[in-house]
Amino acid sequence: MITVKNLVKEFGTLRVLDDINLHINKGEKVVIIGPSGSGKSTLLRCMNQLEIQTSGDVFFEDILVDAKSNVNEIRQKMGMVFQQFNLFPHLTIEKNITLTPVLLKLKTEEEAKEDAKRLLKRIGLLDKIDAYPNQLSGGQKQRVAIARALAMNPKVMLFDEPTSALDPEMVKEVLDFMKELATEGMTMVVVTHEMGFAKEVGSRIIFMDGGKIVEDTTPKEFFTSPKSNRAIDFLNKVLY
Amino acid sequence: MFLSSIIDKITRAFLDNNRYLYFLDGLKTTIIIAVGALLLGIVIGTIVAVTKIIPKKTKVGVFFEKLAHLYTTVIRGTPIVVQLLLIYFVVFASLRLNAVLVAVIVFGINSGAYVSEIMRSGILAVDKGQMEAGRSLGLTYYQTMGKIVLPQAVKNILPTLGNEFIMLLKETSVAGFITVVDLTKATQMIVSASYDAFVPYIVLAITYLLIVLLIEFGLKKLEARLRLSDNR
Repeated sequence: MITVKNLVKEFGTLRVLDDINLHINKGEKVVIIGPSGSGKSTLLRCMNQLEIQTSGDVFFEDILVDAKSNVNEIRQKMGMVFQQFNLFPHLTIEKNITLTPVLLKLKTEEEAKEDAKRLLKRIGLLDKIDAYPNQLSGGQKQRVAIARALAMNPKVMLFDEPTSALDPEMVKEVLDFMKELATEGMTMVVVTHEMGFAKEVGSRIIFMDGGKIVEDTTPKEFFTSPKSNRAIDFLNKVLY
Repeated sequence: MFLSSIIDKITRAFLDNNRYLYFLDGLKTTIIIAVGALLLGIVIGTIVAVTKIIPKKTKVGVFFEKLAHLYTTVIRGTPIVVQLLLIYFVVFASLRLNAVLVAVIVFGINSGAYVSEIMRSGILAVDKGQMEAGRSLGLTYYQTMGKIVLPQAVKNILPTLGNEFIMLLKETSVAGFITVVDLTKATQMIVSASYDAFVPYIVLAITYLLIVLLIEFGLKKLEARLRLSDNR
């Protein structure tokens, strides 16, 4: 579904991604982990071209993703969830969800509203339909952000540290929702520090360090017998 | 004694020969120029601000950015009266355009330079995650700018924009330089006709003040409406 070929990203003289090759199949739940600064967020952001690579290519369903031509259409099929939620603060929760599908003429106003209701019902926030983002808790905001992405009927969901900005007691509600999506068969790429989630939900672990993929394996393999010293060192620090 | 002399002066200034009609016509002209220029200024200012902010990838983009900077520098660097005279008596001289229309255009172009910088600061104050969120959903740069970034930017800058409108309103008092009979010019004419400066100019000042109060009131209402989403 997503193929990354010889991807290099440099910020000035700093090489953040160093010749990354990766193929993600439909239905996979890929969890990207690694120390901060290892390039995992940048890799994720290159997939939908929020970050434009210095060299190399990204393919979505075998089509080259090109920031100059087809990127807007491809992004419609790649939902993205951010660490800081990035809900639109000047719009109601309903409008946050319906704005894009209506603006892009993918749905009529009525269809979009129906879908918004259905999604909000699913995450238990139907009563917040007319509220503004500022009136929601962090966990609620993030669930709405996921719902907003789902309203586009994406084929893959990209998560960029979706629980890192949340209070600890709100992490679970977001992870539970993500787990639900995973069991429904959604293809997911998740950058996270939640090792429990990686272990339980991930079907594949990508461990990155220094802009390279150091390990690409199953969660079981990764957490029980990591190959590289860097991964062993990392796991020793995060699993306590 | 004093009171009766004042009433006498008011009568002479405004009621004799129905001179208050001049005043009302001037008031109408001033409002037309101020509102017209405000709207034009907002349109120009927004376009110029976005031109300055949009990420540049092409030579054309860089050219337009330079043009935008040149525009703000020249307009902010020359007096409004000089701009009025130049455009009315030189640039549009042969076209014989209506002086009020020229005033709207000149004040609009002038205000646009200031609004563009106000708008730019408003756009820059919007979290860049907003643009990313819009783009990540598949919206184009301009769709995201128009539906997501600009509405938040306008909310940010409303008090400053109100400031600009108030200054613009008062600046229109120099429109008389190009034969426009605005509120100030009309009052000057009343002064010449009635041989009294005191009452007409006091009334003039109070009238401007009242309009400004009205603008302040309107802005407060508008801001309260836009701040609805801030309620926690």
